[in-house]
Amino acid sequence: MTSNFTVKRRDILKMMGVGAIASTASGLLVLGDAAHAQAAPMPKRGGKLRAASSNSSVSDTLDPAKGSNSSDYIRQFMFYSGLTELSPKMRAEPALAESFESKDGVNWTFRLRKGVTFHDGKALTAQDVVYSLSRHKLPETGSKVKVLADQFAEIKAVDASTVQIVLTGPNVDLPSILGTSHFLIVQDGTKDFGKGIGTGPFKCTEFTPARRSVGVRNPNFWKPGKPYLDEVELLGLTDASARLNGLLAGDLQLISSVQSSDAQRLMQSKKHAVLETKAGMYSDLIVRVDGAPGNNPDFVAAMRYLQPRERIVKTALHGYGTIANDHPVPPWHPFYATGLPQRPYDPERAKFHVKKGKLQGVGGELVCSEPIEGSVEGAQLLQQSGNQIGLKLNVRRVPYDGYWSQHWMKHPMSYGSVNPRPTLDMLFSQFYMSSSRWNESGWKNEQFDQLLVASRAETDEAKRKKMYGDMQVLIAEHCGTIVPAFVSFLDGYDRKVKGLESNPMGMLMGYRFAEFVWLEA
Amino acid sequence: MNSFVLKMIGRRIGVGLLTLLVVSALIFFMSNLLPGDAAQVALGQSATPETVAALRKQFGLDQPVLWRYFSWLAGLVTGNFGVSYASSIPVRTIVGDRIVNTLMLASVSTAVSVPIALIVGIVSAIYRGSRLDRVLGVLTMSVVAVPEFLVASLAVMLFAVKLHWVPALSFSADTSTLIGFLKAYSLPVLVLCCVVMAQMVRMTRAALINQLDSAYVEMATLKGLRLRRIVLFHAMANVVGPIVNAMALSLSYLLGGVIIVETIFSYPGLATTFVDAVSNRDLPVVQFCVLFFSVCYLLLLLLADIFTIVFNPKLRKS
Amino acid sequence: MKRLPYAPRALWRFFLSLPLSGRIGLVISLLWIFIALFGSMLAPYGMEDVSNASAFGPPSSAYWLGTDYLGRDLFTRILVGARYSIGLALAAALLASICGTLLALLATVIGHWFDEIVSRLVDALLITPSKIFALLMIAIYGSSLPVLILTAAVTYMPGAYRIAHAQAVGLNAMEYVMVARMRGESIWHIASREILPNMIHPMMADFGLRFVYIILMLSGLSFLGLGVQPPYADWGSLVRENLSGLFDGSPAVVMPALAIATLTIGTNLLIDSLTSRKRIKIKEGQS
Repeated sequence: MTSNFTVKRRDILKMMGVGAIASTASGLLVLGDAAHAQAAPMPKRGGKLRAASSNSSVSDTLDPAKGSNSSDYIRQFMFYSGLTELSPKMRAEPALAESFESKDGVNWTFRLRKGVTFHDGKALTAQDVVYSLSRHKLPETGSKVKVLADQFAEIKAVDASTVQIVLTGPNVDLPSILGTSHFLIVQDGTKDFGKGIGTGPFKCTEFTPARRSVGVRNPNFWKPGKPYLDEVELLGLTDASARLNGLLAGDLQLISSVQSSDAQRLMQSKKHAVLETKAGMYSDLIVRVDGAPGNNPDFVAAMRYLQPRERIVKTALHGYGTIANDHPVPPWHPFYATGLPQRPYDPERAKFHVKKGKLQGVGGELVCSEPIEGSVEGAQLLQQSGNQIGLKLNVRRVPYDGYWSQHWMKHPMSYGSVNPRPTLDMLFSQFYMSSSRWNESGWKNEQFDQLLVASRAETDEAKRKKMYGDMQVLIAEHCGTIVPAFVSFLDGYDRKVKGLESNPMGMLMGYRFAEFVWLEA
Repeated sequence: MNSFVLKMIGRRIGVGLLTLLVVSALIFFMSNLLPGDAAQVALGQSATPETVAALRKQFGLDQPVLWRYFSWLAGLVTGNFGVSYASSIPVRTIVGDRIVNTLMLASVSTAVSVPIALIVGIVSAIYRGSRLDRVLGVLTMSVVAVPEFLVASLAVMLFAVKLHWVPALSFSADTSTLIGFLKAYSLPVLVLCCVVMAQMVRMTRAALINQLDSAYVEMATLKGLRLRRIVLFHAMANVVGPIVNAMALSLSYLLGGVIIVETIFSYPGLATTFVDAVSNRDLPVVQFCVLFFSVCYLLLLLLADIFTIVFNPKLRKS
Repeated sequence: MKRLPYAPRALWRFFLSLPLSGRIGLVISLLWIFIALFGSMLAPYGMEDVSNASAFGPPSSAYWLGTDYLGRDLFTRILVGARYSIGLALAAALLASICGTLLALLATVIGHWFDEIVSRLVDALLITPSKIFALLMIAIYGSSLPVLILTAAVTYMPGAYRIAHAQAVGLNAMEYVMVARMRGESIWHIASREILPNMIHPMMADFGLRFVYIILMLSGLSFLGLGVQPPYADWGSLVRENLSGLFDGSPAVVMPALAIATLTIGTNLLIDSLTSRKRIKIKEGQS
């Protein structure tokens, strides 16, 4: 039943072992999970958990197409399920789709699990899937992933439990894309998303934007035995110390987005622990290469050598980060370009480039904003070292509101922030392809574009790795996006909460903690 | 009350409505001048021209500004405050609970801070120059000089996390019992009092001293009246004006300015809603909040002016 | 013995005339003003100097007050920050208080419809939310220091106006003012000779408070991107950025808060001693 193509694909995906549990060598702090490794305790059913995430606003939504921050994703994963789900090893596993296959990467067939029902009793059919996926293509949906959805040339229900998707071009990563929160499945015809009716582990009993969401266990969840908790209450608390104090005071059992400066305090408490998840999130300095001063390659080179990478990880991130090599692929990723030497912090070399490019007095404003991790600190450090070698750099801190429409990519130098993507293809297509709207630095590299398109169809794993490696080298040497470090996710939890593990897809187990955790009495 | 005061009230209400109109128009147009709009904010990093245009159409942002303002006004008349851009929920639903919460916090803080401020101010004025006055002055100023977020953080750290006397998150607390209510409100109210009392204390002290130093008080003391009587009956009546204004200013802060306290204690009040709405360029919510705050401020200012006139016999006659 | 020139002698006499608390207040205020003017020259390091020191280091011989969250010398940052907190806040507070007082005086003395209109306009300004106003100012005028001062001044002027107006209205109704009017005195004379001197003390107390409010407000505006850009920071911003050290027991957050507190207490002790001593009163009824 499974074609050759699918088998090979599974092998490829098996190799993408990026589970944080496996890579203890990267100095992970996985307190509380030592028990899991030695003797897996039996999950207990029951209990109410109160968790807090970091966003809270009237724009909180239960519409998967509109999810824009981690709180939305967490909330949506509580109530909805997707065709596939992403395991800690970044592998697309069957979820609502029992199996999926494609012979050529263009025509995909998804067979749906039988007997799945929505919270209101209605059965899951192919039509629900067609509706959920097609709506992303309509401009009036305002979907955040319209660009991705434009790849779907055709989506049709072959029968009540089979969906066929035809893409505009080959893409072996389709199952991974469908595992993200935007592609969660809703009922056919849903226009009002206030009720959150889905097939997920919890039934929504309350949803108050800018305040909280509450879900009770879905007794008919398609994963028998799960979820363990009776009830989950998800609060949105924007202030990091409010979250932390809430956890320490016992009002909360689980919080996301612990600030790296607070992790120590959390670890001092005997009743609590911190979970570090190494993921591909990063803040990058974007130097536009389609205008001055970025169009001078010596300037970009100087800026690269000035990046105080170790210092950023040590001071801004308090050690909860990983040094990056000016491209967006983290060191523990199987496709990481190991052959590319790590670029060091080298002011002398930067000075050489300043002389060579006659850049004395050249510089500009480093536009940054507080909520972008490490941007304000990084900019200040850069300013100091830059001015010492003859550049003229200034820091310009701007308000976060409206940042993405007013400042991101719009200045000669600004900061950006990228959340982890399930596949490198998604990452590169969204941010590095020359025609992409989010081509942050405005670079145009034909070789890169060609490699990218070719890699989508490449089934040979070794060849694919080489292609991705070459692309990383191109980015590191020619692109204006400078990535100093990857930022780890930090979750704080009460030790009574068990079953919490790292998933590099995002915080709180790739946003899906609600399904997996249980409470010890 | 005599007709002068009534006439003044009538006039002020009329002018107040005009002021509201002017302010609401001003804010509407100012908000439109701000860079970015609700559609762009909603789509954030993933905005593309088509999706932005489509959302704009949905929100009605593609209509001309004047048209939008007048249709909002028309909606007001029928009691329809519009629908939030950010969440497609009617504004009324969003703000309903929040107004109650904000009023509750403001009233409790007022009830605690005003009496204390008056007492401290009067005592300082009477014993001006003495050690007590100096100590009270230093205390008052040091309390207001510490930034609120520092006071709040210290308070939460000490009372909620270390001592567990009160919950760290105020809105999750049970407020149906008196003890529960006290526990939930004590920290926010404590912090807010630290912020607002100084203005009331200082103004009471300064204005009262001004009176106590003036000729007629000297005469009254010479006549043999005791100081206490002088204070209560004569001097206070003349200082009502500036003191009540100081109070109105402080209290107006309690309604709309407590964003930091609401954030740190996760108190679901209107200030947070407003600040979020500004960030989201969610005009219907912004307009409503501005309207609400304006009405409250105008009422407070009107009350302040009424008090000023009522207590000053000379003004009543003019 | 040669006598000192006039100005220092007058200053010395003034100093002696104050009670002890006033003298302390004066000394503190002058000290901070001196630091505000010369702080950057006195500071041992530069504002952006990030040496290899660790974050939140304790006070040591190299770093007298310890280091901040990025490992920079806190002593330097407070010294140079004085320029912003004191300079900007003083300018804005003076602007707000003086304009508010003058406007209130004018409105009261001219009276009638002028008073109504000005008062209601100022009320409208009072109601306008400061955040929107600040964001708009940034959008239109950019985020320079003068814009910062102007924004702060405009935000706090209506409060000063209100308090001044309440006083002026009360004083305006006094007999001696009516007498002055009947005598045909000009508006200017009435405002400056009859009314203003009798309300100057409460307005000074109000100024002292306005000054503190603006010092604290500056950090909020800087956070919005208006005015003070990193690595420069005013004291309020220093408190905000070092807040995380509080839980580690680091004194970093306390130092700038202490700076604000001492300045506040100093200026207000001075103001208090100036306003609570018996002043030479403008006698009623005399020109």
